[in-house]
Amino acid sequence: MSEPVAADSTTEISQRIIAKEMPTGTEDSLTSISPTGRPRETVISVTDLSVYYGSFQAVDKVSFPVYEKQITALIGPSGCGKSTVLRCFNRMNDLIPSAVVEGVIEYHGVDLYGENVDPVEVRRRIGMVFQKPNPFPKSIYDNVAFGPTVLGYKGDMDELVEETLRKAALWDEVKDKLDESGMAISGGQQQRLCIARAIATSPDVVLMDEPCSSLDPISTLRIEELMLDLKEDYSIIIVTHNMQQAARVSDHTAFFNVKSEIDGQRTGYLVEYSQTRELFTSPKQKLTEDYITGRFG
Amino acid sequence: MTQHHDINVHFHKDLEELERAVLGMVDRAEQMVGMAVEAVTTGNQDLAAEVIELDDIIDQTYLDAHHEWTNLMARHQPLGSDLRRMTVLLQLNNTFERMGDQCVNIAKIAQFNEGLPSVERIRDQVREMGDLVRPMIRTAIEAYVRQDLDEARLLPVMDQPIDRLNANMYKETVAVGNNPELLEWATKMLMVSRALERVGDQAVDFAEQTAYLITGERAEFDDVGMAGMADDNKS
Repeated sequence: MSEPVAADSTTEISQRIIAKEMPTGTEDSLTSISPTGRPRETVISVTDLSVYYGSFQAVDKVSFPVYEKQITALIGPSGCGKSTVLRCFNRMNDLIPSAVVEGVIEYHGVDLYGENVDPVEVRRRIGMVFQKPNPFPKSIYDNVAFGPTVLGYKGDMDELVEETLRKAALWDEVKDKLDESGMAISGGQQQRLCIARAIATSPDVVLMDEPCSSLDPISTLRIEELMLDLKEDYSIIIVTHNMQQAARVSDHTAFFNVKSEIDGQRTGYLVEYSQTRELFTSPKQKLTEDYITGRFG
Repeated sequence: MTQHHDINVHFHKDLEELERAVLGMVDRAEQMVGMAVEAVTTGNQDLAAEVIELDDIIDQTYLDAHHEWTNLMARHQPLGSDLRRMTVLLQLNNTFERMGDQCVNIAKIAQFNEGLPSVERIRDQVREMGDLVRPMIRTAIEAYVRQDLDEARLLPVMDQPIDRLNANMYKETVAVGNNPELLEWATKMLMVSRALERVGDQAVDFAEQTAYLITGERAEFDDVGMAGMADDNKS
């Protein structure tokens, strides 16, 4: 079975777009927090990240790591900047002219906002799934094949589409209607199609911005199960309003809050980051405790 | 954040009611310990029957609390200190139900021993154990209600004389001699001693749960209590 994106084309694209070779891990990026005792690599390292939209500061000096093949949840009240932080990971904020990103986000040790880094390659390696399912108005097959085609995939596309749809736990449901519109299937299936589209280009990080907020409970459960399967191969960062969802699926959780500045601006900041089981049973910060127990205002 | 709101009001109200029901069990169990010891040391059969009846109330509260606990978990999926409180209440519900059972065991021995000869020294020792166990339960309740870790840590220390008296009861039983009726009575009183020793252990377990609720960390309570004492001694 071939890789979703041929090794030679990946190398070519990488060499063309990313001048600096990305290491698979350095001594500094290793941590010993794995429950098995095995050191886990830090895939993304966030240091003093601040985000501005014009004169408005949305996020203030956020720092935390994202570990390989783990699910990291970002939780917090509305306006706390969790989606803003998520969008920084694949440079989605570049699309907003007034957005300014300060601090350092390193992906495998490479500064994501470095001069020689191409946002397109960043988005291939760090895929994104949005709040509402947004399949292209194309066939199910073409939705999956679109990214690899754009990136010049030369392998067996049929094989790639099947493999990707199987990974997204959707193959059995759509294998007989691959030519039908991606918009003609249920909301839950559409979201899994979007996940398939995100992983078709072989990323190693998948960002999910409230991926279940528009889904019914059964579809939500299926996405959660899929996330747990996908973390065998991918590092996942999920923004969710649903604390129980964060508690169910994530390995690490970052809790954000929003502070009101003197001039009335509301700026998000990180209150606490830790392993999920710690954060949801014995949080270190009173704010976290208040939030997860509903004593928050 | 300028104002503190509880937006989980209904759950917290239900949680407090569950807590009250469970603490009501230990309050009742503490009274039952006194009544059972009185019954078994004086032969008061009315008291023995009353203890057995009161345990029916504890058993019913246990079932109701378990039902409500399941209901709250299913509906609210609590987190943080709420989750710890729920975990602790489930454990305490079991512990207090068993405390009631120990009192029934003592009361039934009071019924069995009726008319048998007895030894004053053994009766005194059982009374002494009862007098030591009841303050343990009171202290554990107060530690929980006040969320006082230092008070909770007193429990293993308070338990030590009860363990010593229980160990001594074997010698007292052997010392009663070969009179079959007296030996039968003393053997049953050995079981009473064992039941009171168990109630003491259950009070320690109660305090352990309180410590977990306060600190969020599970620890061997004997070590915590003794470590605390050792630190105090050093200073």
